[in-house]
Amino acid sequence: MAEAQAQAPRRASDPWPPVRPGIGAWWRDHVRIGRETVHFISARLGTSLLVWLLVGIALALPAGLYLIQQNLSAMTAAWDGRPGLTAYFELGADAGTIEAVQARLSGDDRVAEVMVTDPDSALDEFRQFTDLADALDLLEANPLPASLKATLAAEVTVEVLTGMTEEVAAYDGVAEVVVEKTWLERVSDISAVVSRLGVILGVLFGVGAILVTSTSVRLAIEARLEELKVLKLIGATERQMRRPFLYFGAFYGLGGGLIAAMLISLCLVIVEAPLSSLIGSYSQELDLVGFDPLFLGSLLLIGGVLGVLGALMAATSRLRDLEIL
Amino acid sequence: MAQIEFHGVTKRFDNGQEALVNVSAEFVEGSMAFLTGHSGAGKSTFLKLLLCLDQPSRGQILVNGVNVTRMSGRRLAHYRQHLGAVFQDHHLLSHRSVYDNVSLPLRISGMKEKDIARRVRAALSRVGLLEKERLYPRYLSTGEQQRIGIARAVVTRPKILLADEPTGNLDPELSRDIMKLFEQFNQVGTTVIVASHDRDLIESMGVRIIELDQGMIVRDGVDTRVGEAADG
Repeated sequence: MAEAQAQAPRRASDPWPPVRPGIGAWWRDHVRIGRETVHFISARLGTSLLVWLLVGIALALPAGLYLIQQNLSAMTAAWDGRPGLTAYFELGADAGTIEAVQARLSGDDRVAEVMVTDPDSALDEFRQFTDLADALDLLEANPLPASLKATLAAEVTVEVLTGMTEEVAAYDGVAEVVVEKTWLERVSDISAVVSRLGVILGVLFGVGAILVTSTSVRLAIEARLEELKVLKLIGATERQMRRPFLYFGAFYGLGGGLIAAMLISLCLVIVEAPLSSLIGSYSQELDLVGFDPLFLGSLLLIGGVLGVLGALMAATSRLRDLEIL
Repeated sequence: MAQIEFHGVTKRFDNGQEALVNVSAEFVEGSMAFLTGHSGAGKSTFLKLLLCLDQPSRGQILVNGVNVTRMSGRRLAHYRQHLGAVFQDHHLLSHRSVYDNVSLPLRISGMKEKDIARRVRAALSRVGLLEKERLYPRYLSTGEQQRIGIARAVVTRPKILLADEPTGNLDPELSRDIMKLFEQFNQVGTTVIVASHDRDLIESMGVRIIELDQGMIVRDGVDTRVGEAADG
């Protein structure tokens, strides 16, 4: 064999120079493949719809959670501007105590507004908002205490609020101090949970979308196996053979993204009325944020990228093992 | 200088069976040769190794001085773009028209549509099927399908044309027509290697015959009966 090598001198120049098609040929090839992909997908519309639905559902859940998280963040951000506390005095607390607390808070720059509600006003409000007016008339004395509501400046931190609460609670005659921040913190916690859940589900369902596309592309490869063998035989590069299937992946992914957007908008239409009512009960108006062209564009882009990744995975492994004859 | 060189090529399959045993042969540019022998003699393996569809267990195959047995990826694809290959079962795509089938190798090389049309029609004209360019392969006879396969193999004007049992399914008259086509391509400078078990047909062609038996070359030369055939 060594002798054979010695007898066979190698030629310096490449006898099979790579063909370098211009940008025009590259563009024509993409247009042709795009057209063939549309034709292939439309010829198998039932299967394609199924793939789009699967990818769409896989994308819709994390995307929906993202949207919820965005809106919860927006809600807490809006309400964070008006934290406050309400002090409930003991029954029969003397006016001096109430005035002392009022003076302490009114003189603090960090407090935006202080409003005192005496027991009689509280009873009037109670009558107004309940059907218990007749029952209240039977009582010998007013059972409601005086209260003081302080609205703090927007920039006040939770620590300051906590300190102020402890200070007010220390006054004699103050029965209870309710911090309005508490439930906002809950919303904030829920938002954090939803955010993390969105990330986890996003990863899981993203992998799911990749696997769905990958399986579908693999089926498309099997359907065109004979053609691929011929292409390999006549000198197509792996990139050329892979290209149509990347288009499949992109089309499946983009379609899935579109379905996801439709599912999310459908869900929004369904929950809009009860959500408006819920938000309204907190004296707020429903103002959904996040469902905008950027969100929709991102959804399509993510769908397309996941589809291409799935297709790349399927095509690379299958074409590598392709036996021609 | 030889264009194709086989140096001590052995092909042993996983089950231990040897398809080629220490085969050495050379083919000069523009030559024509037949590989013959019984079924399982190693003819197809010889061509498969040359097309890099399989790798030899031992030995070297040089084409234009380059060892093609260790090529992979894009370089292998570029090598195949410079070869023409014809097979007994044609490997035509049933869902594409005759024109599309023949144009495939040119599309791969990124040729302009105008040039593709010119080349495809020239190739179809050479095999006498220009008027059938819009038909699908299933509407053609076996002989016509084989000629389409030849047109696809030569449309890129390859320097080397390989054919594995190209007349296997054809009657004697069609077989002679196909062989004449190969002869014509050889006359314009293409190196042609044809594997065929049809001994009568190839011996009437008057070209080099390499006979394989159990993976070994048992005869290599121009058959003496050529003169008789020519005289007859």
